[in-house]
Amino acid sequence: MPHKPPTKEELERRKIVGIRDEIITDVTSTDFPGHYPGESHVWDIEEFRQGVRVEFHQNDPLEASFSLIGVDASIANAFRRIMIADIPTLAIETVFINNNTSVIQDEVLAHRLGLIPFQGGHEGLHKFLKWWRKPTDESEVNSSYYDFNTVSLRLEVACTHNDQAAPGETDPTKLYKHAHVYARDIEFCPVGRQDRYFSGADAIAPVNPDILIAKLRPGQEINLSMHMHKGVGSDHAKFSPVATASYRLLPTIDITRPILGADAAKFAKCFPPGVIGLQKVTRTEAAQTGSGYEGHEGEVRAVVEDPMRDTVSRECLRHPEFKDKVKLGRKRDHFIYLVESTGQWHSDAIFLESVTHLKKRAMDLEKQVINMVR
Amino acid sequence: MSREEYQVPATGSANTFGGGSFNVPAPRDYAGEGGGVMHYMCGDCAVRVPLEKGAPIRCQKCGARVLYKERTKRMVQFEAR
Repeated sequence: MPHKPPTKEELERRKIVGIRDEIITDVTSTDFPGHYPGESHVWDIEEFRQGVRVEFHQNDPLEASFSLIGVDASIANAFRRIMIADIPTLAIETVFINNNTSVIQDEVLAHRLGLIPFQGGHEGLHKFLKWWRKPTDESEVNSSYYDFNTVSLRLEVACTHNDQAAPGETDPTKLYKHAHVYARDIEFCPVGRQDRYFSGADAIAPVNPDILIAKLRPGQEINLSMHMHKGVGSDHAKFSPVATASYRLLPTIDITRPILGADAAKFAKCFPPGVIGLQKVTRTEAAQTGSGYEGHEGEVRAVVEDPMRDTVSRECLRHPEFKDKVKLGRKRDHFIYLVESTGQWHSDAIFLESVTHLKKRAMDLEKQVINMVR
Repeated sequence: MSREEYQVPATGSANTFGGGSFNVPAPRDYAGEGGGVMHYMCGDCAVRVPLEKGAPIRCQKCGARVLYKERTKRMVQFEAR
């Protein structure tokens, strides 16, 4: 029997992960050579180019949501992991504490300072600033700091009594001056060419100026300077440019038999708002035999409006009235990303950088492989 | 190497970058303000008490006899991890 090439519907059906009430089916992809008899499925760059697509749903500096369509899960996951662990950012790395008489211990204070996200001029951050490598020789550490690999910061706060405070005042922020130390109290000390890249609105500053670092009482003071270096998230989470970088597969809702009347309203309530819409059955639909709408003209029916908003709670599968009327699933090659930047990069630039990074890594690997077989 | 270590800051070159000098605070006065006067913290009222050699150990403000040493004047280096 000669093999028939798969129809378009069949190819679409193969991309669906089935979601039933107690089981998930067809988890793995099948578009590889040798799975379907008589079909090649050899990876082809032209075919990939035809199929791959990126659609942005939201693109704000601090949050982006987009769909990456037509790639394998391994590639999509590689982008996610690169965004979390391999995109470099600038963060506080060493803290030189001259004085700290606050109740918060030196090492805890240093740790807290390290986790504060900073922003600055993009050209300076991404092009001018280079890596700092700790010299193996201890004695050379002090001469390894340059304007292109180190950013210096300072935090000098002392708490005093506020003479203007009203008698009987109990609020420490009014009773004392500098009772709270915030991220905005950190001062940037530009060196050398840093003035050119980080001045005015481009100055190195905390993204969220209201982060509480420590609380002080009169007589206590914090006096320290800090060095910032570039690093990657695989080294320490403080270097990760994203708060979250995650993806989910596009949900699919397939209403196989009509859901009408009061059932339709109940069906819509099984999903988050906006996923299922209610429409009136039209005359032409009711006149069509075998459509399931015969004699139901004017009644409401459930239609799928926006499956992307579905959380796939599977609530509709619990009710017997919807049995065999709906099929839930997810599209295996449609990844909906949510990238939330910590502020040093634009959220869309993080994704673009992850693509560049993967490409560079692949080319590095190619070179290694060529050397290996030579 | 230990995670945090004492570093005796050498005056001048310790906190300067290769070329341009860095804008870090001047090293603290290790001898204390003025010769021979040591400062302590009062255990009762937390005021800073200057004591000269041979002076009675007593807070000038509240008269408390418990005084505490101040924190080290040396810079301590930590990794922000």
